[in-house]
Amino acid sequence: MSKFKAICLLMILSLLLSGCWSKRELNELAIVAALGIDKVDNEFKITVQVVIPGEISSRQPSSGRSPVITYHSTGATVFEAIRKMTTVTARKLYFAHLQIVVLGNKLAEEGINESLDLISRDHEFRNDFEVIVAHEATADEVLNVLTPIEKVPANKLLNSLKTSEKTWGTTESIKIDDLINTINNKTTSVVISAIEIEGNKSVGMEQTNVKRSKSPVLLKYKGLAAFKKGKLIGILTENESKSLSFIRDKIQSTVEIIACPKGDTLATEITHSKTKIKGKFEHGAPKIEVLIDVNQNVGEVLCEIDLTKEKSIHLINKKTEELIKKRIDETIRSVQQNYRVDIFGFGEELHRTNPKEWKKIKKDWLTIFQELQVKVDVHVNTQGVGTMENSLVSKTKGE
Amino acid sequence: MSISKITDTSQNHDELYSSLSQNLKIIKNALGNSDDLIIREITVGKAEKFAFAIIYVDGLTDKISISESVIDKLMLEIEASQETETDKIIPYLRDSCLTVGDVNDIFSFSTLYNSILNGDTVILLDESSTGIVTSTKGAKDRAVMEPSTESVIRGPRESFTETLRTNTALIRRKIKSPNLWIKSRIVGEVTKTDVAVMYLNDIANDKIVAEVLSRLDRINIDGILEGGYIEDFIQDSKFSIFPTVYNSERPDVIAGEILDGKIAILVDGSPFVLIVPALFTSFLQSAEDYYQHWMISSLVRILRFFGISLALVAPSLYVAITTFHQEMLPTPMLISVASQREGVPFPAVVEALIMEVAFEVLREAGLRMPRTIGPAVSIVGTLVIGQAAVEAGIVSAVMVIIVALTAICSFLFPAYGLSNTVRALRFPLMILASIVGLFGVMLGLMIIILHMCSIRTFGVPYLSPFGPLILQDQKDALVLFPRRALLTRPRLISKKNTVRGHKYFNTKKRNQSNM
Repeated sequence: MSKFKAICLLMILSLLLSGCWSKRELNELAIVAALGIDKVDNEFKITVQVVIPGEISSRQPSSGRSPVITYHSTGATVFEAIRKMTTVTARKLYFAHLQIVVLGNKLAEEGINESLDLISRDHEFRNDFEVIVAHEATADEVLNVLTPIEKVPANKLLNSLKTSEKTWGTTESIKIDDLINTINNKTTSVVISAIEIEGNKSVGMEQTNVKRSKSPVLLKYKGLAAFKKGKLIGILTENESKSLSFIRDKIQSTVEIIACPKGDTLATEITHSKTKIKGKFEHGAPKIEVLIDVNQNVGEVLCEIDLTKEKSIHLINKKTEELIKKRIDETIRSVQQNYRVDIFGFGEELHRTNPKEWKKIKKDWLTIFQELQVKVDVHVNTQGVGTMENSLVSKTKGE
Repeated sequence: MSISKITDTSQNHDELYSSLSQNLKIIKNALGNSDDLIIREITVGKAEKFAFAIIYVDGLTDKISISESVIDKLMLEIEASQETETDKIIPYLRDSCLTVGDVNDIFSFSTLYNSILNGDTVILLDESSTGIVTSTKGAKDRAVMEPSTESVIRGPRESFTETLRTNTALIRRKIKSPNLWIKSRIVGEVTKTDVAVMYLNDIANDKIVAEVLSRLDRINIDGILEGGYIEDFIQDSKFSIFPTVYNSERPDVIAGEILDGKIAILVDGSPFVLIVPALFTSFLQSAEDYYQHWMISSLVRILRFFGISLALVAPSLYVAITTFHQEMLPTPMLISVASQREGVPFPAVVEALIMEVAFEVLREAGLRMPRTIGPAVSIVGTLVIGQAAVEAGIVSAVMVIIVALTAICSFLFPAYGLSNTVRALRFPLMILASIVGLFGVMLGLMIIILHMCSIRTFGVPYLSPFGPLILQDQKDALVLFPRRALLTRPRLISKKNTVRGHKYFNTKKRNQSNM
């Protein structure tokens, strides 16, 4: 019997250890889908995008009201601003289902470090949401744009980010955890995908934006934004973003356009890409070798080329190799000259290969990086030509 | 056989008197002149006139056998006999006159009452303190029909009836072994109900048999009207909500259990035969499992285990997740559930309790209603519980889905007893979930499982073969192995004879030695 009592006591005591006391009914929650942080006059301006469940549900016919609502408030800290928001929100904000955090352009330029503390410290945030930065816009403006198909704009932001990362390669999703871990890394700089508003910003928040088949205002990912010590220093172009993805081994699939020998172009679909970075020290001078192994299929042929010949395939391989290599070379040079931050992770690699030598150059790494010799070697293998062999172009010209 | 107290009230003297008229007076008094008591007095004899009385209870006896085998013989044989001595009449009647299967002498009133109330006929002779009882039982009983609570698609179509003798015969017809033994007991001070214990002598555990008999003997109650009375008296844990005695109305199920070494308890007047020891797994197994392909049966059994879990925790999980752990739901689902919860006036737990109680009420109402009103109940029920409540915004549609899911899952049990247990346990789990969320649900489940582990049914752990884990008995627990692999009986139940067939076993051995 005493054993039974002891077990009972243990169970009752363990109730006190429970971390989930606070009970909240579903209809007492304001589900926050996206959070925007801006800097206005040295204060943080917080924007939250709250889902209105009744408008999203497919069961009820749409009443024509907006499916989301955005609330704003300002405060000296993010925490203060969020708590202050309860004066305008109908319910308590619930951040566990936060999908995406948008950082305003101005905030990014001035430094994002302070603004991220709360969202990684607070237990209610789930640490699995993405972070993006607004390009030439405030986070507030980005979150005010209504989007078609995905009723919740936060979902559209998230889905576009993931889809373009998978099939195009110019964006890169970064979760808050990874961001916090890498943002203050002195060797490798962090990159965050940048979003821009295409069209008239004030029209975007109107319901009309989703009522036409051609939305006047769209949210579009521009490329990757490079940061230095938590401050935005510039946005890479599309080509640079793609090259960066190649070097960082983040390419899952993308498209390359190469020139045919007899003029016109041919598009290939990259189906697999594997990148290896090798670092070495030659008499104390660091050197980097980037080896990229690419598998591709012929995607679209707009020129006259006989795909049944092995020679043509070799040619395509060579052309693609040259194209990728040239672009990567240019990107590395551009980053070395314009941004002067190591966003590629070369420093990390050198550290791994030779920690002793690395220690010597660690202090001056960013200076050395600008002059770093990088040898890029691309190997391309064309595996398939699609469901037809020779293109319609070559057939018409052949006759 | 215990001595009845009824005779003590009318007469302290239990021995039969030699005077017929005095005996008859006492009998009439004792039975309160009930008009179903038939006393036929006749006087026959060639050389000497003998006064007989034939006593039986109308309705319990077979009238044809009384008239043909008793009265007929008595009147013709004794009329024709040359016997003159009263003392020799009784042995003569018993040994060479009455053409009934079972004839015995009686000397006391208590035996006389027992006999006539069981449907036997008693013959008393004037100037003799010995009577004769002849077996003429023939009460109206129900024919063997299709089982109404445990129907199968493939399998025998017969079920037990209310008559003990029919039931024992149904089992004997399945197991034609001299080792199938029946031990009888009479339980109930007033009702004097026949209880039979059936088991295979060479397989069943002797200790369990002895324990069952001793527990039956210890029962001290005035009446037994159904097996449920016995079940309550003989089960180990009186306060456990889990059934530890299995019951079935199917002779094939009972025969199968007896072959496993279990012990059947048959109660006169009940078509449900009890089986001990009953393990948790037997409540999740159906007779049909053994009649169809083992793979199908295994899948169905896994489905049942899944169903019982769902029936137990579905409402409490809903309450816990929607009020404490919203972050566990995928975002689109959360939004969808939240949109349905908009405008529902009650907290999720109240909503869940309302719906569950409403369902239980409907179920109970549908069960007890006369058959003609039954459909009306279900129509009102579906409309009220399903559509109207959601449209009125009192409950959310998800809650209706949860309740429906729970209900369907609780109909998945082959044994009704366990289904009731799960019904009852659902509510405390819901309350726990509403107080401390998932933690409470887990705590509740832990308590339930610990409790189940602690239950013993006639010395056998309730959760075996899972707790304790018996690897060789897994062949017929959560999954069912092909029949070729079912070579042994459950280890904890039949300890002395665990091998099912010698032929298979021997072939297996021979094959092994050949290899």
